[in-house]
Amino acid sequence: MSTSLLDSLLTDHLDHGYAEAAERKAKQATDKANGKATDQATHHVDAKTLLAVGLLLIGFVLAIAYRGTAQQAPDSERARQGLVKDVEEGTATSDSLQRRAESLGGLLVRERDAALTASETGDKVSKQVRDLERAAALVPVHGPGISVQLGDAAPAQQIDPATGKPLTVPPDDNGRLRDRDLQSVVNALWAAGAEAIAINDERLAPTTTIRAAGEAILVDLRPVASPYTIKAIGDPDVLLPRFADSVAARRYQSLSSVFGISFTVQREEDLALRAATGTDLRYAEPLDTTSPPPGSATPRRAPAGPAGRAPSGTSGGTPAGPSGTPVSPSGGGGR
Amino acid sequence: MIGTIALAIGVVLGLILEPTVPVWLQPYLPIAVVAALDAVFGGIRARLDGIFDSKVFVVSFVSNVLVAALVVFLGDKLGVGGQLSTGVVVVLGVRIFGNAAAIRRHLFRA
Repeated sequence: MSTSLLDSLLTDHLDHGYAEAAERKAKQATDKANGKATDQATHHVDAKTLLAVGLLLIGFVLAIAYRGTAQQAPDSERARQGLVKDVEEGTATSDSLQRRAESLGGLLVRERDAALTASETGDKVSKQVRDLERAAALVPVHGPGISVQLGDAAPAQQIDPATGKPLTVPPDDNGRLRDRDLQSVVNALWAAGAEAIAINDERLAPTTTIRAAGEAILVDLRPVASPYTIKAIGDPDVLLPRFADSVAARRYQSLSSVFGISFTVQREEDLALRAATGTDLRYAEPLDTTSPPPGSATPRRAPAGPAGRAPSGTSGGTPAGPSGTPVSPSGGGGR
Repeated sequence: MIGTIALAIGVVLGLILEPTVPVWLQPYLPIAVVAALDAVFGGIRARLDGIFDSKVFVVSFVSNVLVAALVVFLGDKLGVGGQLSTGVVVVLGVRIFGNAAAIRRHLFRA
């Protein structure tokens, strides 16, 4: 039974109706030859309309199916493209706003300086403000320094055992740099005497965080990708040997030979770093200060009176100077 | 001749009218497509065999679509819809290939 079913499936491809219809027609023909009347003409018209209707239906079905598939496939693709475009537009807008903020900031600085330099105290205040801004990484800076190149391990080339074709495997976890790698390198650079640092052109301000969000590394909440170029401004003759001697540099030197991450340090004659995105201080408020005598060591404010507010006349309160103080930018969040 | 024109008109109508297939009909569309292809190849082979009959052609197409849809519908209700539609596609696919082979023998004598 089952064999005959399979046999008929594999051999009888044509609908049996055709053979039967042909038999009937042959019979009709013999009947006609024998003299019996049949309405051959109307039957003929019927057959043509039937054929037309049937093929119309078939063409319709095929076209609908084609349209449905052609419409469906691009739907998901279109959604993805739209999202990609949204992201690109958002990035472009943010970049242009950033540039505008930088140029407006420069304008503001010039106007302020022009207003302040009118008087002698204003001149001092202006100088102080500039120093503070430089320390807070709020102005673009340039100068000699070093640049550190760090990169994830290159994808290992393996041969697929089944096809014999080369297979690209993503670098395993050991070869991928984490946020703490960037943090330790940056900290080593600060400790070596760097005055300004940028990772992939994201300038580090004192409050900038380097942290992980899933697989991505965020610097100041902006994603950066491997290879990472860390530019540090400082005296190259001091920076280079001190950084090369640091624990972090030695560790990545050895890791690069073990796990294949790339790690190179080179001297730069002139590095230009842009300003960091300004930080809004929401809770910290500046102390009441009178202008401190320039050049004098900034005396720390003595424990204040009972109220805890700074009594007027206490000088100082200037935050740590721009250079020489390692500012740890490590955020630590998300680990 | 009439057949070719009708087929072309059907395709053009389907493309121009842009009918939206109701969601409940969508699972049966692939089956209808395979049944349509089977009917077309069967018809061409019958024509070459000299036993073509339009009534058989249309009725076999419509009934194949309906039976296949019914089988798949029942399968959906019983939880084997995917497997049954695979079965329908396999059976009709085998017929399509068989008829295509017969057509090839007719046309090329090979």
